[in-house]
Amino acid sequence: MKRITIDPITRLEGHGKIEIFLDEEGNVANAYLQIPELRGFEQFCVGRPAEEMPRITNRICGVCPEAHHMAATKALDVLYDVEPSSAVKKLREMFYEAFYCTDHTVHFYALGGPDFVLGPDSPPAERNILGVIHKVGVDIGKQVIACRQRNHHVIKMLGGRGIHPVAGLPGGWSRAINEEERQEIEGYAKENVDFALFSLQLFADVVLANQAYVDLILSDAFTHQTYYMGTVDENNHVNFYDGMIRVVDPEGSEFVKYEAKDYAQHVAEHVEPWTFLKFPYLKEVGWKGFVDGKDSGVYCATPLSRLNASDGMATPKAQEHFEQMYETLGSKKINGRYTPVHYRLATHWARLIELLYAAERMLELASDPEITDPNVRIVVTNTPTEGIGSVEAPRGTLTHHYQTDENGILTKVNLIVGTTNNYAPIAMSVKKAAQSLITKGTVISEGLLNTIEMGFRNYDPCMSCATHSLPGQMPLEVTIRDVEGNEIERLSQYI
Amino acid sequence: MTRTLVVGLGNPILTDDGVGVKVAYEVERALASVDREDVTVTEASVGGLRLMEMMIGYDRVILVDALTGCNGNVPGKVHRMTLGDLRNISPTQHSACAHDTSLVTALELGSQMELPLPNEISIFAIEVENVIDFCEESTPAVAAAIPEVVEAVLAELGLTPLCTN
Repeated sequence: MKRITIDPITRLEGHGKIEIFLDEEGNVANAYLQIPELRGFEQFCVGRPAEEMPRITNRICGVCPEAHHMAATKALDVLYDVEPSSAVKKLREMFYEAFYCTDHTVHFYALGGPDFVLGPDSPPAERNILGVIHKVGVDIGKQVIACRQRNHHVIKMLGGRGIHPVAGLPGGWSRAINEEERQEIEGYAKENVDFALFSLQLFADVVLANQAYVDLILSDAFTHQTYYMGTVDENNHVNFYDGMIRVVDPEGSEFVKYEAKDYAQHVAEHVEPWTFLKFPYLKEVGWKGFVDGKDSGVYCATPLSRLNASDGMATPKAQEHFEQMYETLGSKKINGRYTPVHYRLATHWARLIELLYAAERMLELASDPEITDPNVRIVVTNTPTEGIGSVEAPRGTLTHHYQTDENGILTKVNLIVGTTNNYAPIAMSVKKAAQSLITKGTVISEGLLNTIEMGFRNYDPCMSCATHSLPGQMPLEVTIRDVEGNEIERLSQYI
Repeated sequence: MTRTLVVGLGNPILTDDGVGVKVAYEVERALASVDREDVTVTEASVGGLRLMEMMIGYDRVILVDALTGCNGNVPGKVHRMTLGDLRNISPTQHSACAHDTSLVTALELGSQMELPLPNEISIFAIEVENVIDFCEESTPAVAAAIPEVVEAVLAELGLTPLCTN
């Protein structure tokens, strides 16, 4: 079997490596995404006080510390059996929406956008945020930076620190806001709504108005029929901060809806010999391999998955765009809800709809009189035993599970991070994209390799992203190996 | 007044990845006894756009970070680099490990946006051994390099060790 290695993947968070195994004919036999995994996190945590977890776990990842902070804080609520007040929940959620505004913005403009705005065949050196700005104008770049700055300011104001927030407490939040701060945040939220609408218009103008891109979105190479997971509120609308976890089947019927604390009853992990990664799947359906369909327990947890798993969006403008997306992509409405969209590249569109929802929800919360309630702390008196907390991280459902002794010292820690949910779908997407593009005699060009990358980039995967060491040498490297795995050719592209 | 920002980069709970943060703590401690309002010391575990945004408004930035992937890696070896060097070791321009883009690209974006970014960026990079295991301690060779880097950063700030003792 010949092996092609794409290493590293440009613009992927953390360091990953795609391995494509060819058969004797030169066709794709298998394709895998290899990810170096950080070691010893549970061991690191055990023996520490549980209340440190919101501050420790937000160090795991330099990209979404806010998500870990929030999941950990919610796990502490359960661990200490304290119900946060309505004002605390609103403050936390407002903080979390500000985080979503920055995170989804940067993905579209810096990571996902370049493929569409510049095209998958454009030179790699241009296919980055600078290329996007060059194409669509400097003013848009200024808006992207301004959006990030105002939301980082809100994160710092509410979270107590700029990068690694510290405000989460069991049953509370360490930082209340006053009327002046409320007004400031309200102003930013309005700007976020405008920016999200602008971004959706840009997507319509640049992507949807270009038939070649629409064809790419609708192409079989980027389509998978799986189960979908997302957190929903009492109306089955998308919610990032709290709710029940809902899973729908590939046809769109509700498969299960459960509380985060019951995750282990519904999700199990499959192990493969070629990687130390574990592949979560739906326990009740069972693991049938890296395959599509209703009989396969593979599920997906992404922005598109959250929309697929919901009945709609809780805010009016986001709901309009939600309907527009499902109508445009040919989804049918059955029993009052749309059937799932299986086109993986539509995840970029779904992400922008979520950006709009986050902005609208932030505005609702900032306009709520209760948000300035100064009583945001609670005295914890219960003896801790076990706590499970979950939020929707931008990259998928994030679950923290802690067990402690009676003094609150951790005895067991388990995390299912957002990207982990999607390991199996990502592997499937990489294989399918590779199969459609690498056939006997096909010359491997950067455009082809990048199209394969597009297959997984829409998942916005976050792999071991806690390391930030300076890279020593990072050319795009392609290694082709013979049947025995010996290297027969190595192509390096200094792009 | 020339405003200088010293940033210790890395993850303090990932063995050697946090060496830059440890250096920053030491630099901050050394500066506590001298009157240097022009210097801000901070830590961060971010790259790309967010790091560029942190630099807005400063005239000069000193970054301290762990370095991996060198040929013939010598843990604890210290390199003083410029942005140009960073450009050379990261030739793909968008290959950085951050969520968004490389620092080089982010700075270019910032200058296109006419943001007030520093004229001078110097980087102290320490070759490291382990950035995979969760641990608060650095490996011995890397830990041993910390005083040298602290001294080098202080020298860059125009302070000799005598001034801070």
